Amino acid sequence: MKRDITQFVSLKVKRFTKAGIIGLILLIALSSIALWAQKSPKDKFIYPPLNPIQVPPIEQVKLSNGLRVFLVEDHEFPTIEMRALVRTGSVFEPENKLGLAAITGEVLRTGGTKNLSGDEIDQILEQIAASIETSIGQTSGYIYVSLMKDDLEKVLSLLADILMNPAFREDKIQLAKIKQKSYIARRNDDVGQITQREFAKLIYGAKSPYARHPEYATIDSITREDILNFYQKYFSPDNMLLAVVGDFQVPRMKAKLEKTLGQWPAKKVKVPSFPPVKYNYVYRVNLIEKPDVNQSNIMLGHIGGLMNNPDYPALIIMNSILSLERMFKKIRTDEGLAYSVWGRYGAGYAVPGIFSCGAQTKSESTVYAIKLMLQELKRITQEEVTDEELRRAKDQYLNGFVFNFDSKTKILSRILTYAYFGYPLDFMERLKKQVERVTKKDVLRVARKYLRPDQVQILVVGNPQNFDQSLEVLGPVTKIDITIPPPPKKAGQGK
Amino acid sequence: MNVKNRRAFSWGLGLLLLGCLMLSPFLQAQNFEAIAKKIKVKTLKNGLKFIVLERHEAPVVYFHVYADVGSANESYGITGISHLLEHMAFKGTKTVGTKNYEEESKILEEMDALYARIRAEEAKPHPDEAKLKKMKAEFEALRQKAKEYVITDEFVDLLMQEGDRSVNAYTSNDATQYINSLPSNKVEFWMAITSDRFLNPVFREFYKEKEVVMEERRLSVETRPLGRLLEDFQATAFKAHPYHHEVIGHMSDIQAITREDVRHYFRKYYNPANLTVAIVGDVNPEEVFRLAELYFGRIPSGEKPEPVRTVEPEQWGERRVAVEAMAQPFLLIGYHRPSVRHQDNFALEALASILGEGRSSRLYRRLVKETQVAIECGVINGFPGDKFPHLIIFYAVPARGHSVQECLGLIEEEIEKVKKELPKQEELLKYKRQAGMSLLQQMKSHARMAALLTYAEVILGDWRELFRQIEKINAVTAEDVQRVARKYLIKKNRTIGELVPQSSR
Repeated sequence: MKRDITQFVSLKVKRFTKAGIIGLILLIALSSIALWAQKSPKDKFIYPPLNPIQVPPIEQVKLSNGLRVFLVEDHEFPTIEMRALVRTGSVFEPENKLGLAAITGEVLRTGGTKNLSGDEIDQILEQIAASIETSIGQTSGYIYVSLMKDDLEKVLSLLADILMNPAFREDKIQLAKIKQKSYIARRNDDVGQITQREFAKLIYGAKSPYARHPEYATIDSITREDILNFYQKYFSPDNMLLAVVGDFQVPRMKAKLEKTLGQWPAKKVKVPSFPPVKYNYVYRVNLIEKPDVNQSNIMLGHIGGLMNNPDYPALIIMNSILSLERMFKKIRTDEGLAYSVWGRYGAGYAVPGIFSCGAQTKSESTVYAIKLMLQELKRITQEEVTDEELRRAKDQYLNGFVFNFDSKTKILSRILTYAYFGYPLDFMERLKKQVERVTKKDVLRVARKYLRPDQVQILVVGNPQNFDQSLEVLGPVTKIDITIPPPPKKAGQGK
Repeated sequence: MNVKNRRAFSWGLGLLLLGCLMLSPFLQAQNFEAIAKKIKVKTLKNGLKFIVLERHEAPVVYFHVYADVGSANESYGITGISHLLEHMAFKGTKTVGTKNYEEESKILEEMDALYARIRAEEAKPHPDEAKLKKMKAEFEALRQKAKEYVITDEFVDLLMQEGDRSVNAYTSNDATQYINSLPSNKVEFWMAITSDRFLNPVFREFYKEKEVVMEERRLSVETRPLGRLLEDFQATAFKAHPYHHEVIGHMSDIQAITREDVRHYFRKYYNPANLTVAIVGDVNPEEVFRLAELYFGRIPSGEKPEPVRTVEPEQWGERRVAVEAMAQPFLLIGYHRPSVRHQDNFALEALASILGEGRSSRLYRRLVKETQVAIECGVINGFPGDKFPHLIIFYAVPARGHSVQECLGLIEEEIEKVKKELPKQEELLKYKRQAGMSLLQQMKSHARMAALLTYAEVILGDWRELFRQIEKINAVTAEDVQRVARKYLIKKNRTIGELVPQSSR
């Protein structure tokens, strides 16, 4: 490439005066408006100013029954999307009825309403290529709606009917139970799923609301009354946030929402705060034997933290360096030990996340890979990162920041989440300002403060017959039995 | 209020079902014309085509490079090379990723020569173990020496530090696709680094990357029961056509492929005649074309590679494959069907939709809602690719305590029904609306739009085909659906694959 430029200069020199030549050389040196010369990707690029990020006006309204709504117009396509978050979650299930939240979330939609069966709703929605889906996860209930704008009234009244008059028909409860039990039967089929699930249990505790999972017995014990109660307790307009984006006019949409969802009487529900997490740091090596695999799935780490931690911006940069600069470059690129590898201090909105490093490597390099991961982990707590690593991590975050704003749906979904967890709606913009100021010292400080390489839970799911070394070299090994408890005798036939 | 609602809703349902008979599909060609009009195209002198769509809502731009080469272009001995090459395309160039290319390249050549000698020794009836050990030690020493020149992952770092949040690539049976996204003022940087990628690639760190790919194979195929089933299912359904093998290739081939193999493959399939670029976002097409000419115009033109020769012959009878795994049962049924370009394509799409898309589809109603023998089921076209004649597949996930045989029996009954009775107009209309909606939803995303444009240009032969799809969707008749069901969904034409639980836990 360099040659191209010199050729060009020598070629052009003849035509220019001295001043012209100086100007030309200057121009090439600046290489910003060199319209005719190719640059090398490693040349300095002087970019034209970026067109401004246009954050769309977000209208916030409260319907008469207390339902908070966020609205953004987007006229690019003749469609409308809605998302709602309901303050509930499987963390509020009774211990002996695990699966209740998931089943409630599913049957809310499939069980139909007092006016229409779930099957009729399926038919109506699919006939117009619209969808209404409901579900309940660990710390929130989620509703997703998509439609062509011409079908707004039909879909909106259906949505209101589903939320206000759910019937929770028995046949669909049974169907949901069959699904749940089938998931239980299948939960040890996939190594990745086993690793994630069991690692969460190691961190939060097997009985913690943040890690526990349904069993046949807990599914069997769920009744229609339990489901109705769970719904009654949490589904109310004053316990829900709604975001609407698409091809509509805000005032008309407001009126339509008021006429439908606005008619839903508020229940003044009181949802308790999310259960706290207690954590005891401990070093432990855990093994789940899987004799039919030739690759080990490895996770190691401990408890993580919250996003509203003032150190979170520095942790974002530390995560980037630990994952991309250290784990990826060492374990994957240099050593060829894994396809996917990471190291990340997880931060949750309301519940502490998990700090974890992970990789999948052939059985024969299991212990070696763990040692390397621990080594990288220690290193980031012992010495400052390099200037280059810091610069790259910050550049990645800051230069890519614009992608947080490249779709109205993305912007609105984020705002909905912030509102749900009580974060400032401009949380993302605030983070950016703080990330800009992160230094090498900050990265070392937070690594030391939040990472404890000597007190990690290590989990290996694999076939120890073929490990390069016994896992014992890392410490005493605790074997975890993941046998699925059989269903209680009487109700064990699946349907 | 409930009473009032009931009436309102029953009325609504009645109107809807009645209305369907006279309503037309709601999306027409004109819905897509506005987008089509904004598209600008330029083919460089060397044959490289750029398709550009302006979208100015946000100052970002998405890039999609489509190489018309996938695992279907591979032959025995080099299976997995398309995917391996995709990995190597992240290793940098003569200037990116190296401190001194001249010196580095000498060591890389030495390594290749030594590796060939190691392979030759290993292939002998009685390999000299001592000699092998010595050569392997030498090889490792050379690798360490080469590493001194490497700037690790610089290619990816350069993109990411400019803000690329989607730097990635995918290899399928049909294609290899490279994607990027950048703030929209950095188009020239993308042109510089991407043209360099295809003009001056250096396949460094080759031998370690093969190990990464082997881990990827273990991860996605070997340790996953469904991964194993899909691999054997393909291999059973296709005895001749290269859809026979998994994209990732056989372990022994990944091990054996040489750097020269990759260079040869690159020269053959990565010339401008075989590449197509789509760019969607906040850009000025004229400026994009000027830069494209400046940067990509440097790549020497080449020939469109010879098309795949092998055609899958007709089956002589039903085929079956059973994969044993420590997992719960799973059922796959595949029927051979023609390429996506064939005139029967949209009738087959409608067939898949009527039988297997959504909760109101025939199979879901029968297998999940009514008989409760399955927890999931569906019908998908385009397996494992769609450029060549491929499969329409039916799948079912049996509910706990139920077998694949029960699912198979019910699926067969539903297939026979379509052959006997014409599908209802409302079912057909549902397909048309859902297909239109799906197209529209995909077009919302810049990244998907860029992918669709290249796909239409390469696989369908013209990017405009993307916008003509809706007409073809709307033209499908109930008779078409029945005709393709009768034509393709026959026992002799099918392959059945199942996961057989090895031991339950």
